[in-house]
Amino acid sequence: MLNTARINLRLFWDGAVLSYIALFRWLRPSTYIASKVFGPLVYMLFFVLLGRYATGSSDASFFVIGNAIQMCAWSGIYGITMSITGDHWDGTLPYVFGAPANRLIVFLGRAFIHVIDGYLGVVLGFFWGITLLGLDLSQTSLPALALVVLITTISTSGLGMLLGCLSLMTRNVMFVNNTVFFGLLLFAGANVDVATFPGWMQSISYALPLTRGIQAGRAIVAGADLSQVSGLLSTEFLFGLIYIALGYVLFRWFEKQAKRRGTLEAV
Amino acid sequence: MNAIQVDHLRRVFTTNVGRFRRESKEVVAVDDVSFAVGDGELFGLLGPNGAGKTTTVKMLTTLLIPTSGSARVGGFDVEHESQKISSTIGFIFGGERGLYWRLSGIDNLRYFASLYHVEPAVAAKRIPYLLDLVGLKDRGNEKVEGYSRGMKQRLHIARALIHDPQILFLDEPTIGLDPVGARELRLVIRNLQAEKKTILLTTHYMFEADMLCQRIAVIDKGNIVALDTPEELKKLVLDLSVIEVEVFGVQDDLLEKIRKQKFVDNVSVENRDQRQILTVQTPRGSEAIPDLMAIFDGRRVGKVTSREPTLEDAYVRLVGGDA
Ligand SMILES: Nc1ncnc2c1ncn2[C@@H]1O[C@H](COP(=O)(O)OP(=O)(O)OP(=O)(O)O)[C@@H](O)[C@H]1O
Ligand SMILES: [Mg+2]
Repeated sequence: MLNTARINLRLFWDGAVLSYIALFRWLRPSTYIASKVFGPLVYMLFFVLLGRYATGSSDASFFVIGNAIQMCAWSGIYGITMSITGDHWDGTLPYVFGAPANRLIVFLGRAFIHVIDGYLGVVLGFFWGITLLGLDLSQTSLPALALVVLITTISTSGLGMLLGCLSLMTRNVMFVNNTVFFGLLLFAGANVDVATFPGWMQSISYALPLTRGIQAGRAIVAGADLSQVSGLLSTEFLFGLIYIALGYVLFRWFEKQAKRRGTLEAV
Repeated sequence: MNAIQVDHLRRVFTTNVGRFRRESKEVVAVDDVSFAVGDGELFGLLGPNGAGKTTTVKMLTTLLIPTSGSARVGGFDVEHESQKISSTIGFIFGGERGLYWRLSGIDNLRYFASLYHVEPAVAAKRIPYLLDLVGLKDRGNEKVEGYSRGMKQRLHIARALIHDPQILFLDEPTIGLDPVGARELRLVIRNLQAEKKTILLTTHYMFEADMLCQRIAVIDKGNIVALDTPEELKKLVLDLSVIEVEVFGVQDDLLEKIRKQKFVDNVSVENRDQRQILTVQTPRGSEAIPDLMAIFDGRRVGKVTSREPTLEDAYVRLVGGDA
C-alpha cells in the first residue's frame, strides 16, 4: 500500500517535471524567464489600456482583475495540451501505454507544473496591476484572493486537460487551442461584464471554467469575504473536477480505441 | 508453461482509401498464426516486408488488440490481462521515434524507470549500467535530438531493459546500427539469453537469425509457412546447391529465361554497387554452371561460385522472390 503510493508519487513527480522540461527546454533560461515575466506585462497593458480607453473610465480594476486571472489560461490551455500531445509528436504513446504505469497518475502528472505555472502567471498579473496600473488591494483579504486564484487555475487547467485529450485525436491542436483560449477571453468576462451578454452567451459563460473565478476575484478585491463568494467558488471547483474527470475518461477511451484500431502511432 | 503461447491469432486493419469518396479497405495483416515460445528460448520471426511480424509483436506486447484468436504472454492473456503483462515484458520497435527528443538520454531512462515502477535506488544503478551496455556512457547527458539514428536505437534498447524484464520482444533491433554496434548488440542478446530471458526477435538478417535463434518461424502474408530450428530449415534446401553469378546489369527477360530452365529452382537478384549478384538455386550443383553460362550467351559475367545452401537460401525458397 505504502509502496504503491510511493511509486505513484515518483511517477507523478517525474512525469510532471520531465514533461515540463521537454516542453520548454528549447528556450534559453533568460528567454524563458523573460517570456514568463514580460509576456504577462504586455498582455495586461494591452487589455487594460484598451478597456480604459473604450469605457473612458479611470478605474481599471475591472480589467486588471479579469485579465490577471485570465492569465492562468495560458499555461492551463496551451501548456497542458502541448504537454499531453507531446507524447503524440514524439511517438512515445506506445511506450507509455505499453507500461504498467497508473494512467490517472500519468495524466495528472502532465498537468501539474502547468497549474503552478498558471498560478504564478496570475500572481505576476496582479503584481503588474498593482505596480503599474493602480490596482488597490487595501480592502482585500489576500488569503481569500489566493484561494480564488488557486481554484480558478485548477478548473481552467481542467478544461486544458480535456482539450489535451481531444488533441490526441486531431492534428489541429493549435487551431483548437486558439479557439478555446480566445473563447475563454470573451466568454469568461475578463473584459466585458457577463451580465451584459445575451442569454445564449451567458449559458456558455457559465458552462466554462474561469467565469465564476473572475467574478469571485472581483468581489474579493472589492472587500467581500470568503463566505460571500463560497457559492461561486464551489461551483467553479466542481466544474474543474468535471472537466478533469471528462479528460481522464477521454484519455482512457483514447488508449482503448487506439489499441483497437491500431492508431497508437498515427500522427 | 510456455512463456509465449499464440493460438490462431488474427488481425485485420480497416483503412480509408480515397480522398473524397471515403471507401474502407480491409488489410489482413496477420491471418492465422499459432506458435509457442518456451521459457528461456530465443525465437526468431522472419518474413518479407509487410508479412505481419510487427503486427504480431504489437499484439503480443498489448499495444494492439487481436481481431480474433488469443495469445498468452507469461501466462497472461494479451487482451484481458494486459496490465499484468506489461511489467514483465520489454519491447523495442526499430526506428528513431518513441523517445523524448528534448530530454537527455538519462532523463528518458529515468522517466521510463518510473513508468515501469523501478525503485529510484535501483534505477540510479541501472541507468549507468545500461548506458554503458549500449555504448552511450559518455553521451547520456545530451539531448536525444542530437543523437544519431543508431544512438537512438541504442537508447531504445536500454529503455527496453530498464525494468529487467523476463520476456523481450525485439523488432529489428539491429536496424540502423553500424556493423560494430550490431555485433555488440548481438552479444548483448546472447548474454540476455544466457540469463534465461525469453526473447522473440524479428530481423531481416538471416545470418543474425541463424546465429542467435534456437527456433525460427517464417511468416509470409500473415501466415506461418515454416517453423523449425535453423538446422532443420536449412535441410529444406539440402537438395539444392547455390550458384552465385556476378553480373553487370541484368534484364528482366534474361531473369525470366533463367527461371524457366528445368534445372533452376529459384533465382534472386541482389544489387551491389554497379554489379548484381544472381543467386541461382539448383539441384545439379556446379554441374549446372556451363548450362547457365550458355544462357548468358557472351554477356559480361564476373565471378561465378558455387556453395552450400544457407538459411537465407531456405528462406528464399520459402517466401520466393527477391529477398
Ligand atoms: N496501423 C495499421 N493500419 C493499417 N494497416 C496496417 C497497420 N499496421 C500494419 N498494417 C498493414 O499490415 C501488414 C503487415 O504489416 P507489418 O508491419 O506487421 O509487417 P512486417 O512483417 O513487420 O513488415 P516489415 O518487415 O516491413 O517491418 C502490411 O500490409 C501493413 O500495411
Ligand atoms: Mg515490421
